[in-house]
Amino acid sequence: MQTDFTAEQLRDPAIREAADILGTCVHYGFCTNTCPTYVLSRDENESPRGRIDLIRAMLESGGPPKPQTVAHLDSCLSCLSCMTTCAAKVDYAHLIDRARIHVERHHRRPPAERALRALLAFVLPRPRLFQVALKLGRFGRPLQRLLPVRLRPLLAMIPERTHTEILAPQVFRAEGEKRARVALLAGCAQQALDGNINAATIRLLTRHGCEVVVAAGAGCCGSLTLHMGRENEAMAAAAANVRAWMRERRGEGLDAVIVNASGCGTTVKDYGHLLARMALAGEAQEIASIARDVTEFIAGIGLRPVAQERPRLRVTYHDACSMQHGQRVTRPPRDLLRAAGFEVVDVPEKHFCCGSAGTYNLLQPATAETLGQRKAGNIDSTAPDVVAAGNIGCLTQLRRYVGAPMAHTAELLDWATGGPLPPALAGVTLTSRPAPQREEAPAVAAAPAPNDDAGFW
Amino acid sequence: MAEAFFNEVAAAIGAEWINRSEETLRRYGENTMPGGDRRPLGVIYPGSTAEVQAIVKAANRHGVALYPVSTGNNIGLGSRSAVHAGQVVLDLGRRMNRILEIDETLAFAVVEPGVSYQAMYDELVRRGDKFMVDVTSGPPQGGMLGNALDKGAGYGPYFDHFGFSCGMEIVLGNGEVLRTGDGALAGSELPNWHVSKYSFGPILDGLFAQSNFGIVTRMGIWLLPRPPAVRSFHFTYPDDDDLAEIVDICRALKLSNFVPTLLRVANDVYLCGSEHPSPEYRPGSRTSISDAGRRALREKDRLGAWTVSGAFYGPSMAAIEPQIERVRAAFGKSGKATYIPHEEALGFHALQVAINACSGVPGVGELGLLKWRPGGGNLWFLPGTPMVGSIANECQRISRRIYAEHGMDYMIMNVCSARFARGLHVITFDRENPDENARANACYEALARAYAERGIFVGRAPLDYHALHMGQAMPAFRDSCTAIKAALDPAGVIAPGRYGIA
Repeated sequence: MQTDFTAEQLRDPAIREAADILGTCVHYGFCTNTCPTYVLSRDENESPRGRIDLIRAMLESGGPPKPQTVAHLDSCLSCLSCMTTCAAKVDYAHLIDRARIHVERHHRRPPAERALRALLAFVLPRPRLFQVALKLGRFGRPLQRLLPVRLRPLLAMIPERTHTEILAPQVFRAEGEKRARVALLAGCAQQALDGNINAATIRLLTRHGCEVVVAAGAGCCGSLTLHMGRENEAMAAAAANVRAWMRERRGEGLDAVIVNASGCGTTVKDYGHLLARMALAGEAQEIASIARDVTEFIAGIGLRPVAQERPRLRVTYHDACSMQHGQRVTRPPRDLLRAAGFEVVDVPEKHFCCGSAGTYNLLQPATAETLGQRKAGNIDSTAPDVVAAGNIGCLTQLRRYVGAPMAHTAELLDWATGGPLPPALAGVTLTSRPAPQREEAPAVAAAPAPNDDAGFW
Repeated sequence: MAEAFFNEVAAAIGAEWINRSEETLRRYGENTMPGGDRRPLGVIYPGSTAEVQAIVKAANRHGVALYPVSTGNNIGLGSRSAVHAGQVVLDLGRRMNRILEIDETLAFAVVEPGVSYQAMYDELVRRGDKFMVDVTSGPPQGGMLGNALDKGAGYGPYFDHFGFSCGMEIVLGNGEVLRTGDGALAGSELPNWHVSKYSFGPILDGLFAQSNFGIVTRMGIWLLPRPPAVRSFHFTYPDDDDLAEIVDICRALKLSNFVPTLLRVANDVYLCGSEHPSPEYRPGSRTSISDAGRRALREKDRLGAWTVSGAFYGPSMAAIEPQIERVRAAFGKSGKATYIPHEEALGFHALQVAINACSGVPGVGELGLLKWRPGGGNLWFLPGTPMVGSIANECQRISRRIYAEHGMDYMIMNVCSARFARGLHVITFDRENPDENARANACYEALARAYAERGIFVGRAPLDYHALHMGQAMPAFRDSCTAIKAALDPAGVIAPGRYGIA
């Protein structure tokens, strides 16, 4: 794609980078096939290709964007399905982030929307505050109709049950021989919504010989604010994490930073880019290079399932977009679940987003609901005993629509290696599926070397 | 005229299924060919055969040309772009994307035009992964029906996608609905429609492959029971002229169907190009990649001047092993080939594409070759060679010379069956550079002329060159096509110009 930035604009490294990305788009259109908003609307401006064109025009003109442009950019899920399918390898992730930052800086949203975004950006990264907000929200649910329309989806999204467990900085000792020392990103919203995920992750890691550190000073990864265009807040959060983990790495050592919310994992793995223009750039790159999804890490050191009487369940594995498109981690969770004795089934149309997408289901509830129901229909069609996913956002979103119980992959792996039954399965009648036929056909001796006949036998 | 047509269509199917927005018209006109984009008059999304019929009848009444597309993923051959600007694109894929039936006893599926390889794969996996659909190595979201009608192919035993289709429903250009094969029987209960290819009377199905006589709205596609084990094998060869030896070995393997898959014989630029952009290309380059550059790429990716890939199916990996040993012996005879076993190939991204393709798993791995040069230009030249090594090498020399004369990079995969290998020639170029665009066009035309002089026709062609290739056919073939067009689409409303048929 041809661009028309001025020399002065190109002196800004952020614009320079955007211009380079824009130049790689050649309009093949593969992205449109797999973009949820395009597939739903068939509106070119609701496709990555269309949005790239809108971003080009917006950044070239520089000033406040057109409201229609903002609407089309806001409706992008940042699911990055387009990046998986793009033949030209357009770096859409960084382009849409840059566009959101531009919108945030140059566009004045209506007061209610501004207030909502400010509220989310302030509350979600702070687990204790979020915990209070969840309680208030539940209490206020009967009064939902009195709230402004924009705020109602927030109350609707509050799960019926949450299990808040906010971890203080501490060290969890390895069981048996210590094989690695890792930091766990305890996260923000996840701790308020479902503390079982961190608890299961820690048990899983320590049982596999890992010392697990919840580092002092580490907190929200910055993903939520970054995707709302609040670059400075995101960078501040990222920088705090880099400093906290580098203290550990320089101290007692750190082999990996473990992330169990894949939305966060995508961002942590990209810290080198997010903080590229800070003095901390080198350290940020170092942290990014040791960041691992929990399933990636366990697959690397080898899962140790324990022999115990457990039903062989059918697990339908849902690939979070941040996992499959952002991090390209697709095999480890499946391999581990299979190794743990589960029957693992894929979701039809697995490349499609479930509509969670960070704060998307709060800011774009109608599209999110359509996508959530579509995903749930696909999941239900596989007749699962339990649904596994590696991202709290997807779990929270899909629990509204999916009939079967849902658990984090780490919870199932924890259970399979000696941990407790995942809370989602408590009280559920679990029936074992038949084991697959494992009888292998015998090898046959090789025939003599081929002759020179016309055929080959 | 056009307004009256759109009004009539809106009344028949609903105005919400007509799109004439600026952005849509611009994008639907885009393609990757040198001839430029072609802006359509509008885009219509029909939802059923009856709606297609209503649209075709309206087009007849108002003299409007329609251009049907299924999913529009025919990159390098036309994308969603119509033959001429001002035609109305019928995008069948948006709403007519239902899998109408999967018969697990007789192993066939019945699909609408919008069903993609990925959608079929997902559905088959959901049903327990008992069946395999033969896939291309192209975009997973490509349409099965459209690919079969354009004589597309895959790599498994059911590679011939048109050959393994059975029974169609077509809206003819005159607005009538035709069922082919056993479906031609009057009535609605038709148990043999999608299982018997040869029924009473002439076999009409072939008329609707690479033509413009009607719009196919339903097709039966046969499925292969999924084998419990798929084990691939791969061999690299160091020299360009090794192609002759490879082709002669592949012929013997395929004539007796010892190897159930086709054999992919890809050159260095094709496989390495799926992994990286050209290391030598600079904007304005007028030369092909050097031999030294190709050697460096091969060393980097541990691939050959030619790399052969195929696979066996069987009840277990162990049971397949003896066949692998036989193939190793065949390719190992001359001492030129290096064997890459299945387990090692799983770690080669470029070879994983072959494994996926032979396993009926859609993937995006091969799309990387479109990025070999920047600028989005892409053409596929698709002639073929008899499976005779000396002729394959002769074709190689013709192509290499013409690519070099035009400063293009010779990128090819020969897909080998028993008697014939389709030569998938890729031309990637900077479409935004007028000189390079013109050279790509000249390169294609020179290839088309040279192969025709050698007596070799193409199997498929980019839209820009349909008229050129039809002009290469004998007059009686052209006249027959024209006569059939006049019979089935007398007003000429279906894709006039497609495959050179006015």
